[in-house]
Amino acid sequence: MNALEIRHLGYRYPDGTEALRDVSFSVAEGERVGLIGPNGAGKSTLLLHLNGLLPEHPPPEPAARVWGTPVTEPHLAAVRAQVGLLFQDPDDQLFCPTVWEDVAFGPQQLGVRGPELSDRVARALRQVGLADFEERLPHHLSRGEKRRVCLAGLLACEARLLALDEPTSDLDPRGRRELKALLGSLPVAQIIATHDLELVVEICPRVIVLDHGAVVAQGPTVELLNDEALMLSHGLERPHVLRHRHPH
Amino acid sequence: MHIPDGFLDAKTAVISAGMAAVGIGIALRSVRRAASARRVPLIGLAAAFVFAAQMLNFPVAGGTSGHLIGAVLVAVLLGPSAAVLAMTAVLVVQCFMFADGGVTALGANVFNMAIVAPGVGYAIYALVRRAAGDSLRSRLLATAFAAWCSTVVAAIVCAGQLALAGTVAWKVAFPAMAGIHMLIAIGEAVITTLVVAAVARARPELLASRPPTSASSHYTELTAYGLLVSLGLVVFVAPFASGWPDGLEKVAAALGFEHRATATPIMAAPLSNYTIPGFQSAVSSTIVAGGVGILVAFVLAYVLARALTPRVDAAHGRGAGGASPCA
Amino acid sequence: MAAAPEVRPLVHDELLNPYRHGASLIHRLPAPVKLLGAAACVLVSVLLPRTAWPAYAGMGAGLLLVALLSSVPLRYLGRRLLLAEPFAVGVALLALLQDHGLQVFLAMLAKSTLCLSCIILLNSTTRFTDLLQVFRRLRVPALLVVTLALMHRYLFVLVDETARLRRARRSRTFTTGRVFGWGLTATVAAQLFVRTSERAERVYAAMCARGWKL
Repeated sequence: MNALEIRHLGYRYPDGTEALRDVSFSVAEGERVGLIGPNGAGKSTLLLHLNGLLPEHPPPEPAARVWGTPVTEPHLAAVRAQVGLLFQDPDDQLFCPTVWEDVAFGPQQLGVRGPELSDRVARALRQVGLADFEERLPHHLSRGEKRRVCLAGLLACEARLLALDEPTSDLDPRGRRELKALLGSLPVAQIIATHDLELVVEICPRVIVLDHGAVVAQGPTVELLNDEALMLSHGLERPHVLRHRHPH
Repeated sequence: MHIPDGFLDAKTAVISAGMAAVGIGIALRSVRRAASARRVPLIGLAAAFVFAAQMLNFPVAGGTSGHLIGAVLVAVLLGPSAAVLAMTAVLVVQCFMFADGGVTALGANVFNMAIVAPGVGYAIYALVRRAAGDSLRSRLLATAFAAWCSTVVAAIVCAGQLALAGTVAWKVAFPAMAGIHMLIAIGEAVITTLVVAAVARARPELLASRPPTSASSHYTELTAYGLLVSLGLVVFVAPFASGWPDGLEKVAAALGFEHRATATPIMAAPLSNYTIPGFQSAVSSTIVAGGVGILVAFVLAYVLARALTPRVDAAHGRGAGGASPCA
Repeated sequence: MAAAPEVRPLVHDELLNPYRHGASLIHRLPAPVKLLGAAACVLVSVLLPRTAWPAYAGMGAGLLLVALLSSVPLRYLGRRLLLAEPFAVGVALLALLQDHGLQVFLAMLAKSTLCLSCIILLNSTTRFTDLLQVFRRLRVPALLVVTLALMHRYLFVLVDETARLRRARRSRTFTTGRVFGWGLTATVAAQLFVRTSERAERVYAAMCARGWKL
């Protein structure tokens, strides 16, 4: 069964602006998919739909299904437990006073308590390489560390599909390298919305190009990103890593 | 206006804390009843906003600078109950993290700055808006006047608490607190109005959106705060207000209790024996100044609102009989 | 016109104060013990009769002992006390204007100094996040604790944001003076409010995404 299945998803903002038009694609179990496109293409809006955060009241007939579960009001709790959404600004996502409380927040909402909770938090923090950060205050962390704590918060919920919004934006080279290695090592399905095309080339075998709210292309990453004309017409460019590679 | 530890006696501290708890209870109840989860993070962040905004100094005179209190600002932008909770959080953090305001005086400080200030401010704001219409200009007028009045009333209640505790005589505390704060309140009114006007320009919908409570529960909420603030005035200020004892005596005389009432005054001012020449007149001249102050503040509020309203809005407001383009 | 400082540097100093993470005997005491101890200490010094001078001295000595045990530098504690004291002195001065004024003034001063020292000590050895846990256990209403926790978390973020907004505004303005100062304060505060309410929306979305319900 596919991790994510989206069929004919459309969305208008309350002010009437059309944000998404007839979007259809799927993500397989454990697959990593890049979601690219110019600013304002609808990438972030699309990710919010995966968690039922948009529209305000999901319609009864859903356009998105997560492991077959429709993203609708009665199933939102189950969907949100499976889909981990990583927001652009880690300061928005790290809303608890300490790292431990923040990572524990999701499982607590799912009813996890006591030693199991501590185990989950410790495991999630180990996974992102921040094992002894439990008592730290979010404000004292670097940007890269904040992002990894956010990721730990999602892993602690045992999310099986990560929806990541610009995970590498404003990270320094080392932070970016560490995050890339981490994402590449996580055995869960991921959909990564980003402008970081090199990241997409390196860790996503498949890519979806979104522009003006519609899917304009999807397919193998190297093939699509080598298509100079496609890239330029959607505000993107062929990444440097590919220029130095000989196709086939 | 933060009362430190050691300035209140047990009686005043306990009464204030009790009334503060009731006020917080009203706020919690009405936020929960509105059942808008969306507002919970907003209240927490608004508290952080007030704290950050209080650190923005603005120059006053002679090298001194003032800062915003922010109670009316939050009340106008988010509604009275959100303001009560946000201001309470600010005062708790100031007390425990910055030793700003005493632990035993926390109840009194919360009552003055987190309940009286936004409560009085919002009530005046709502009244002026009801009288002057819903245009941006009338909102700014209401904001400025509400900010001035709320600061002064909070300071007077604070003076009453200090007097009731026997720390500072009413004859000293009232003119000093009311006098200083009539001036500070001008800064508060101007800055609050400037901020509201700037928010209205940048994001008019933030001002337009009222909490989605029904009219009747909104009315209940305001009445509850009104009663609580009135109770505060009766307990902390009325015992000292000059007109009150006369009234009490008359009632006592009418009921035939005159001899008893004079023998054991229930709530006589603890320091009323102090007769320091000049201070009695200071109290009455402060009251006169207060009357003049209210007038001046209203005129100032009007001028400010006029100056800050874009011309288009003013023209619309007149042309369409008070209908507002930004309602 | 004295130029107002960018942002009171004091705030960051106090928020990030390095002595809160020490490992002394006092630091290791459970937070509830410290909070209740400090509260009891404040209560006693408030309730002492005005002329109980020896008792004041005794409490002062006790607090000094705790300060020494906590190994927080006395210089640091003294500096914070001096910064907090003016507010108290300001109110106490009013008391001088009445009969027995001096006695009341001195008593107020002694009481408020003891209480301030107590709170500053508590604050230098205990993290606010631990106090929040105590509030929770003391059954402070959940909504209020959540408000406090969110405020504490975003205090840092908004203070930094304010400093950035103010700097950006100043770099594009070439006048000074009172009118400018007021206008600047108001514009920065308004911008800050708009950003804060936008951030609140995003925080709300992030809370919902992890299954939060009121």
